[in-house]
Amino acid sequence: MVTKNKIYFLAASLLFLGSCTAKYAVVKSNREEYKISNDVQVDSTIIKTYMPYKVKVDAEMNTVIGYSDVVLTKSSTVPESVLGNFFADAVFHQAKKMEPAIDFVFPTTKGGLRNDIAKGPINVSNIFELMPFENQLVLFNLKGEDVLKVVNYIAISNGQPVSGLKFNIKEKSPEQIIINGKPFDVTKNYWVLTSDYIASGGDDAVGFATPISRKNIGLLVRDALLREVKQVQAEGKSINAKLDGRITKN
Amino acid sequence: MEELLKINRRNFIKAGGIASASFALSLNSLDAFANGRLQKLTILHTNDVHSRIEPFPMDGSRNEGLGGTARRSALIKRIRAEQENVLLLDAGDIFQGTPYFNKFGGELEIKLMSQMQYDATTLGNHDFDNGVEGFYKQLPYANFPVLIANYDLSNTALSKSTQPFKIFKKAGLKIGVFGLGIQLKGLVDPKNYGETQYLDPITKANETAAILKNDYKCDLVICLSHLGYKYRSDAVSDQVLAKSTRNIDLIIGGHTHTFMDVPEDVKNLDGQITTINQVGFAGINLGRIDYYFEAYKDKKMNIGTPYLINNKLDG
Repeated sequence: MVTKNKIYFLAASLLFLGSCTAKYAVVKSNREEYKISNDVQVDSTIIKTYMPYKVKVDAEMNTVIGYSDVVLTKSSTVPESVLGNFFADAVFHQAKKMEPAIDFVFPTTKGGLRNDIAKGPINVSNIFELMPFENQLVLFNLKGEDVLKVVNYIAISNGQPVSGLKFNIKEKSPEQIIINGKPFDVTKNYWVLTSDYIASGGDDAVGFATPISRKNIGLLVRDALLREVKQVQAEGKSINAKLDGRITKN
Repeated sequence: MEELLKINRRNFIKAGGIASASFALSLNSLDAFANGRLQKLTILHTNDVHSRIEPFPMDGSRNEGLGGTARRSALIKRIRAEQENVLLLDAGDIFQGTPYFNKFGGELEIKLMSQMQYDATTLGNHDFDNGVEGFYKQLPYANFPVLIANYDLSNTALSKSTQPFKIFKKAGLKIGVFGLGIQLKGLVDPKNYGETQYLDPITKANETAAILKNDYKCDLVICLSHLGYKYRSDAVSDQVLAKSTRNIDLIIGGHTHTFMDVPEDVKNLDGQITTINQVGFAGINLGRIDYYFEAYKDKKMNIGTPYLINNKLDG
């Protein structure tokens, strides 16, 4: 059989000598996927290329930029959390400098709080671990009815990180809604700051699909957090977030 | 002898993807490779590497310890040492995901791809994260082309920096590679994509693939796509692209970070095979597709007939 095939191909190759431009057709395709795990050896020339960059990145990530007097944790028995309040207040404080009209902020979902921050010094890496995603802050002008959809979502999901918004959850519905210090009025429009992730319906969030206007404010959620921690430090203070009853359940 | 070739091919078609014993043997014939009647091409590919220079940290997360450019490079070098004809391709979203991007703007990512000798990439939506200018700024570090057929960048900083396709010549083979990008509106901040015009990917794919196959007589046409594998909505995806086009043999996909068990083979508009593959994200995997080609004389053989597909390499 093998011999026969050899003869066959010898003859075929002679035939093709006459052809000036060889063209080819696919006759077979084999596929494979390699997992890049620690079973694979490393190419040290690559490490040599990235090492000078790594040294700088690591140094920056390990830079202490602030201090927290309390454990910033997302675990909580109530519909708000210390970490969620820190996060939302920090974003509100920094974003308001750029957009003073903001009524309230909903900058992340509970699920977006990726890591607690321990009491003590805070470094850049801690903030990256808390917020590893590259989400942008987006400012919405929403009709009162859409704001109600947002607040309903927050109530039905048993609370989310917010700032500038206060209400009580009664049987999975919001009541006594206070926005920016004033009772909510469904006939009014509000300026709501959120992330592009939430705005596009991430974690099944609703209310942002038909805004009066939407605008990217040009600030990453994480950068707002970094700015806040640095500012508190620069003012000679430390972070002291707490539960304050912004979302209750009675 | 030509008659014999025809019969052989016909038997193969009948077998419906299961080659006859003699056919399988002929593919392994060293003589056939030596005299140029058979050629083998190895495609290696990544997508959505997202600035993952080092492996994921050992922090208990799902992907801990996986990926890393140093390991990928060693693997690529090993395969290049074993195979004569290798193309190394990427389907975009090189940028964003680790502090390396935040701090250095993608310089290191591009440098390392050049060092690994990538042959081509396309533009992903995150490659616009520092604006058109931010991508342009890193191009001096790239010694591979950026292929994009459905963005009109003529009013941007990238006006002279990309090309719709490139033809690679390996042994006697001509391989046409082109790129497709996703609709940027709604996905990327308008100030970052600026004057970039998005053109219909299906139209541009059909145009470009026809040029490559019919005008340039490419033996294989590959699309680097950042459209995404599939959607519940009717948004254009690699699956939609595959069945709505002609002349594309392989779509190397990205954007949706899809881990596929095996590549998907879709029947295209001509009833021929268009394969879709995507390998997750962050350089956790390296994809490989080996194509075996047989020479034929003009008009003597029908191109684009079914071929044998294995989800493993030859031992």
